[in-house]
Amino acid sequence: MSSLSIFKKEKKKPRVAIHSITGCAGCQLVIYFIRDKLLELLGEINLVAAPMIKGKNEKGSYDICFVEGMVACQKDFDELKKWREQSKFLVAWGTCATHGNVPGIKIYMDKEGVENRVYKDKSHLDGDKRPVVPSPIKECVKVDYEISGCPPEEIEFLRMMQRFLMNVKPVVYNEPVCVECTQREIKCLLEDEKECLGPMIRGGCNALCPAVNHACTGCHGPLEDANIPQVLKLLEENGIPKELVKQRLQKYAGPEFEKLGVKIR
Amino acid sequence: MSKKITLNHITKVEGHANLDVEIDDGKLINCELGAVEGARFFEGIVVGRKYDEIKEITSRICGICSVSHSMTSLKATEDAFGIDVSEQTKLLRELMSIGERIRSHATHLYFLALPDYLGCESAIEMAPKYKKEVERALYLMKLGNEIITKVGGRQMHPVSSVVGGFTHIPSKEDMKFLLSMLKESKPYAIKTLKLFSKLKYPTLEIDSEHIALYREEGQPLLDGPIISDKGLKTTSRSYVDFIEEYIVKHSTAKFAVRNGRGYVTGALSRINLNYRTLSPKTKKILSNHHILFPSKNIFHNNVAQAVELVYWIDNAITILENSEFKQEPLADFSPRAGVGRAATEAPRGILFHEYKFDDKGNVESCNIITPTTQNLRSMEDHIRLYVENMLEAKKEQGYITVEIEKLIRAYDPCFSCSAHFLKVNWKERK
Repeated sequence: MSSLSIFKKEKKKPRVAIHSITGCAGCQLVIYFIRDKLLELLGEINLVAAPMIKGKNEKGSYDICFVEGMVACQKDFDELKKWREQSKFLVAWGTCATHGNVPGIKIYMDKEGVENRVYKDKSHLDGDKRPVVPSPIKECVKVDYEISGCPPEEIEFLRMMQRFLMNVKPVVYNEPVCVECTQREIKCLLEDEKECLGPMIRGGCNALCPAVNHACTGCHGPLEDANIPQVLKLLEENGIPKELVKQRLQKYAGPEFEKLGVKIR
Repeated sequence: MSKKITLNHITKVEGHANLDVEIDDGKLINCELGAVEGARFFEGIVVGRKYDEIKEITSRICGICSVSHSMTSLKATEDAFGIDVSEQTKLLRELMSIGERIRSHATHLYFLALPDYLGCESAIEMAPKYKKEVERALYLMKLGNEIITKVGGRQMHPVSSVVGGFTHIPSKEDMKFLLSMLKESKPYAIKTLKLFSKLKYPTLEIDSEHIALYREEGQPLLDGPIISDKGLKTTSRSYVDFIEEYIVKHSTAKFAVRNGRGYVTGALSRINLNYRTLSPKTKKILSNHHILFPSKNIFHNNVAQAVELVYWIDNAITILENSEFKQEPLADFSPRAGVGRAATEAPRGILFHEYKFDDKGNVESCNIITPTTQNLRSMEDHIRLYVENMLEAKKEQGYITVEIEKLIRAYDPCFSCSAHFLKVNWKERK
């Protein structure tokens, strides 16, 4: 276990920020909803910025900065750059931040067409609000750690904070959904000829969708070393049309699948 | 000479927005409230996609109201395909929506609104002195989350509710657990109502139109006709015909009006229009504190939310005590071409989804109108009047800013549904 340099000398409470760019606020809420451990955790850290729940927010010198949301306009990029410069560790928190999430579907459509369907007149979307290709934050700044999930699980946040507080390098869960699914002895949905993406998706969610008899739709994004061609073959054998599978893979993490060589256009 | 002062971000709201206030010679000239969040184009990206993932996508519009977006999306889809879901499905969807209502109101009342009234910057700062209140808030938030998780599979962006029904139902143990939590939280809800009835609210009355769903017995949630205190009476299917959406230069979120005027939707409108169905106990607490509904004072929205906490906890107890859920198949259906519409009461007001499908069940077009979009115009009108009142009373800029923040928070806006950091730009011309 390699140790971190930031807290060792100072022995002070780490200065933590929870910030957001364009998104749904859900990932921040996951943190504020940690009922049983929230107050205890807040005693261990110095939460210096969290604009969703705090009136007074410091602009910088963060030890750890969690960022929710994707870069959807210039303004997002400007804020993100500022936080990066002010943070020792920057954590991408949730699938918008790690993979671009559902707004990234636009990448695979006629962009103008998509925008025109929502706004007949786009003159108000100018200056720093002009839309850009929806991107995960690592496309814009250096990211130290990523925790995906739409939303991510509180246990993953707590595990990371615990490691930070122990001066130990955080390790993010990196097994497919199937591992936890098997541990919970849930009946395999792929064997049931369902459209489950579990074998190629990062777990950490305790297989929560299969647990309620719903196929995994991939909200944590793909695992780098997954045998994706094999999963695609299984889906084809289950009778899922190729074109539909392409659409499904565009949904949460399209660009990541493309990086791994999967054709989804 | 014009003087421009940028004040600190207005915080403690869901999502991000800007407010520009311009004053000349002690008079308000301009007031513009707008969402500056990057546009995500949800209504555009669902086009061409299969009906079975539309709810999953539109749920992502908002974390705190993801259950409402999911339910409204499913109902609109089922409306298009002519699907009648079972009574059990309706009940489970209500239960999940009640969970969201409790969670959303508890979060807003204690974490976003209350610190203003207690002179704290946050609930965290409140915690040492008001530990009981903060613990109460966290318990109620957990209760809401537990209901949503046990019924929907996850506290946010629920998964088990799909077109035609549920893939999974809560077990008997789950129901027992929820019932005991609900019973334990009942006194907390009453204490919340008493606390928020006692607070000293500013008086700010505008004769706005209040619009809400109507229910013969009880408070509205997922269905019912739409009514207003100015004579509107329509169905959820034709609701959209009464609303006009427009775009303003200063906001990425659209604005909405009816008959050219702003209107109010949300807890205050619901309680104003459905007050008669409240319990005698609730009515007594309100009258003890001299709070009268219907109320035109927008600050009473906080009280209305506390009233709903009490109401929905009672209601959830009744549902759980009188229901036995059994695993059942999804409703039988095949996709067909057509238009589906649904209007429901989300925590912040009426939420409207509309989809046009082709004969394979792929989306051809989509229209979503969120509560905050509908409230933006009225919020702007209220800010304008409030600032004018305060300028007349010769109040200082610092005081005025704090009061504007309070006012905006009273509305419980959700700028994720529509907007970035709420930032007040104060321009003064001399």
